[in-house]
Amino acid sequence: MKKTILTLILFTSFLYQASAQEKHTISGTISDISNGETLFGTSVFFKDTTIGVITNEYGFYSLTAPAGSYTLVISYMGYDDIFQEITLDGDKKLNFEMVTTSEELDEVIITSEEIGHVNIKKPEMSVSKLKAGTMKKMPVVLGEVDIIKSIQTLPGVTNSGEGTSGFNVRGGAVDQNLILLDEAIIYNSSHLLGFFSVFNADAIKDIKLYKGGIPARFGGRVSSVLDVRQKDGNNKKIGLTGGVGIISSRLAVEGPMFNKKGSFLVAGRGSYAHLFMSGLEDLKDSKVKFYDVNLKTNYKLSENNKLYLSGYFGRDVFNFGKSFESSYGNLSGNLRWNHIFTDKLFSNLSAIYSKYDYELTLKSSEFDWISSIKNYNLKYDLKYYASNNFKLDFGGNIISYDFTPGEIKPTSSTSPINYTKLDDKKAFETGLYISAEHKISKRLTAQYGLRYSTFSRQGGQTLKNYRNDQPVVYNEDLEIYEEGIETGETVYKKGKTIKSYGNIEPRMGLSYQLTESSSIKAGYSRTSQYIHLLSNTVSVTPLDVWTPSGKFIKPQLSDQYALGYFKNFTDNVYSLEVEAYYKTIKNRLDYIDGSDLIGQNTIETEILNGEAKAYGLEFLFRKSKGNFTGWLAYTISKAEQRTLGDNVKGPGINNGDWYNAAYDRTHDISITGIYKLNDKWTFSSNFVFQTGRPVTYPNAQYQYEGLSIASYSSRNANRLPAYHRLDISATYRPNNKPHRRWKGEWVFGIYNLYARRNAASISFTQNQGTGVNEATRTAVFGSIIPSVSYNFKF
Amino acid sequence: MKTYIISVLSIVIIAFTSCTDVVNVDIPKTDSRLVIEASLDWEKGTSGNVQTIKLSESTPYFDSVVYKKVVGASVKVINDNDGTDFIFIDQNDGTYTIADFVPVLNQSYTLEVIYNNETYIAKETMTPVSDISNIEQSKDKGTDTDAIEIKVFFNDPVNEKNFYLVKFLERGDVLPLLGYDSDEFTNGNEKSFEFEKLEDKKNKIEEFVPGDIIDIKLFGASERYYNYMRLLIGQSEGSGDAFSTIPAPLRGNCINTTNKKNYAFGYFRLTQSVSKTYTIL
Repeated sequence: MKKTILTLILFTSFLYQASAQEKHTISGTISDISNGETLFGTSVFFKDTTIGVITNEYGFYSLTAPAGSYTLVISYMGYDDIFQEITLDGDKKLNFEMVTTSEELDEVIITSEEIGHVNIKKPEMSVSKLKAGTMKKMPVVLGEVDIIKSIQTLPGVTNSGEGTSGFNVRGGAVDQNLILLDEAIIYNSSHLLGFFSVFNADAIKDIKLYKGGIPARFGGRVSSVLDVRQKDGNNKKIGLTGGVGIISSRLAVEGPMFNKKGSFLVAGRGSYAHLFMSGLEDLKDSKVKFYDVNLKTNYKLSENNKLYLSGYFGRDVFNFGKSFESSYGNLSGNLRWNHIFTDKLFSNLSAIYSKYDYELTLKSSEFDWISSIKNYNLKYDLKYYASNNFKLDFGGNIISYDFTPGEIKPTSSTSPINYTKLDDKKAFETGLYISAEHKISKRLTAQYGLRYSTFSRQGGQTLKNYRNDQPVVYNEDLEIYEEGIETGETVYKKGKTIKSYGNIEPRMGLSYQLTESSSIKAGYSRTSQYIHLLSNTVSVTPLDVWTPSGKFIKPQLSDQYALGYFKNFTDNVYSLEVEAYYKTIKNRLDYIDGSDLIGQNTIETEILNGEAKAYGLEFLFRKSKGNFTGWLAYTISKAEQRTLGDNVKGPGINNGDWYNAAYDRTHDISITGIYKLNDKWTFSSNFVFQTGRPVTYPNAQYQYEGLSIASYSSRNANRLPAYHRLDISATYRPNNKPHRRWKGEWVFGIYNLYARRNAASISFTQNQGTGVNEATRTAVFGSIIPSVSYNFKF
Repeated sequence: MKTYIISVLSIVIIAFTSCTDVVNVDIPKTDSRLVIEASLDWEKGTSGNVQTIKLSESTPYFDSVVYKKVVGASVKVINDNDGTDFIFIDQNDGTYTIADFVPVLNQSYTLEVIYNNETYIAKETMTPVSDISNIEQSKDKGTDTDAIEIKVFFNDPVNEKNFYLVKFLERGDVLPLLGYDSDEFTNGNEKSFEFEKLEDKKNKIEEFVPGDIIDIKLFGASERYYNYMRLLIGQSEGSGDAFSTIPAPLRGNCINTTNKKNYAFGYFRLTQSVSKTYTIL
């Protein structure tokens, strides 16, 4: 492997340098002058040439050009452009610090990588980027800034409604999103079952969501990658950021360390106990709370070596009277080493740990339930800036997974529960990739690459054998799927491989520039996913368990095709992005009718192998400059799945017909507007309209055991009423004198302004008092939700 | 155990969502089906000779007629071992009765219903049940620490897989409360079912008060019947919320041998049962 990479480097450098006249390279880091935070996605280019580059995640850039005199332009939305005359007569190392355009507490930056001098040419598509500053300006429920909700205002991103975890991208399931916090995998992105996200906006620098065209350096999930980067910490001066809201309070401390060779950031957030509970008589002994801590430090060893350490710990705790206690959360840590080999070769080595665990104590039935997933990940990424026209990303990683699907412990001697432990599972996932960014002509740019991923399920457990190798069988008489017949078991010793898989994943993108301000792009990507979240409920729950591919479960494979048109108008004030996508997913797990997943040791007896497809058209129109900024996003789409009986026989699930995925939304409109009236007042608003979630309604009833039993029709053939909502907020900044360090702001918000009772669900039950059948709508928020919070910076 | 885990989630949902109302919904309609409620329950200590089978037809979900009786069917149960036929007599009110049925534990029986020239067949085994060993009343052990709950105890036999069904009905209430459990995680131990009523002013549901009388019936169930009831109870308790499973057509064990597509709803069950009546102190 090493040799191959080396050969490739040598080859490409030979290819692109030998032919050229004398060339020199200028490289360095771009950061924010006020706090030293490196800036990801900054355009660095020579004026009036096509020579340009975008800074990477660590703010690094490298530009190579023939010797001569140039004007170097450094441009980043929300910052003043830097113009610097450069005489390129040798390799140079130049770091720049940028000044923000405004002196606001949190600058409003609605930015897309598509906007700007160079970006329109970049073949990268289906990517959305939001800065923490933007998210903080959007109206939010109960005043809590939320990354996951912010990205749902972008086209192609939805979720199952208020109070449901996770999000869905382009008709994909929640578990098909790779969520990374400083490269560490986050297994559950939600606090309080989805009311809030696990990301504290004060600790976040920016987020990037890949809805398609996933670069070859990412792998492991088939729908999207949400790449969340934490702030590095202010390396100029000690600073405090914080806020007091009606749900939670936040505080972040950051500052320089080691003689300004490094910096740190520690951010904490906690909700108030007894949240939501006060009004409910029956639950007065109950508590619901969440908290999280973000940590980041970095240390510059030398000009070419920098170390980063980041960590996250978050927890949710539910306590309901004397009946039960439940707590769950993510834990992650990452040690990174940035090393610049040469001015053209940048590298990063990461050692990453993540864990998600769920604990439940049921006091009335006297037992504990614990489940967890954890992984170690070693990752090495390199970027070679071969020439102005050719850049190469390559690297690899290996992940070691430990799955503990469940352990059930009695908590007293009188407990009816016997100690039970579901089989632990182990697996390794590896990835090797190489990807090129290639400027083929003045107008045509390509990005093409390959990822080779492998997965090997490790021994150390026993697996059941089934008659005819069928863990699920079709009962022809009763016309139902049932557990297969066990014929014995096979013991797989530790260190032995139970089953392994390998997949080649090509990734491609093309950008053709039509005019100075418009381009068309096309992309294809294949992705594979080896671990799956087992969930047969309408929306995922914190106690859903992750399970690896293996003997019975195949990896999911997705192919996605996308085509897009991008245009900037009137001096880049407006932009329009239109994208169409079509994707198919093979081996999507589906659950037999009546599947029982809780405490299930033999998951294979509950599932069938299905497929999914999704297609849609997305529009995003933005205004990114001026006092009024905002965007309009519209998506028309379809997401379906189908599960045939195949070798198990029988018609399959839902008679083998295609049916709407739970996250299918025909129309999804989102309008976000932010208006800056003056230095003191900023107003914002967003409006959301979505086709109702697919649901299954009853088509008959009958009497059984003294109850009226609903009989349900085809899966997800009906729909809830449309979801729509309007939110507003106003930010008031009292006289903030520029020299005063203490800067504060008040944020007033109203969520669900016209008090729409959006149905989170409609359930069909008998009235307990009268026995009459009725349809009961549950609305999570049935009224307007006002909020006020105070944010400060010191 | 699993029911408890599921209820944890629904409690969380209740906590978050206090906003519910009854709405009008357009729902699909389909052709009616025969419903076979062939519950041959053999109360311990009785002969089990008297049995009733109910036949009805399904109706649209919001129909004013909820019970459409079926008369004129021929109904019999056969002992699979010795071939004895037990003919059930049509009472012309949707019920079919017999006074000389002979229940045998662990014996397999076949139900045969002929209706509209179509024959429905089902097979099931008479499943035994443990005795109720104790009933306890408490206040502080349930979800609401101020509301009275009762706990019904019974001993699970070792060395076998057991499945249970329980039915609680407070006298005067319209709807019974059904529960199910298996011994998957509790084999050989003393098990219990809990019944607690939470106040619901909207639907005029009150907590237990001293003097309330509750009829309790515990059944032994076959594994397949347990699976059927697990789905039936889950779906009847309100499918559709975010943490419920996607509802699916419920298939019982009654096959239409004349026209397979026209299968019947309901179930042919043979269960031993124990009944107790408890008065809240």
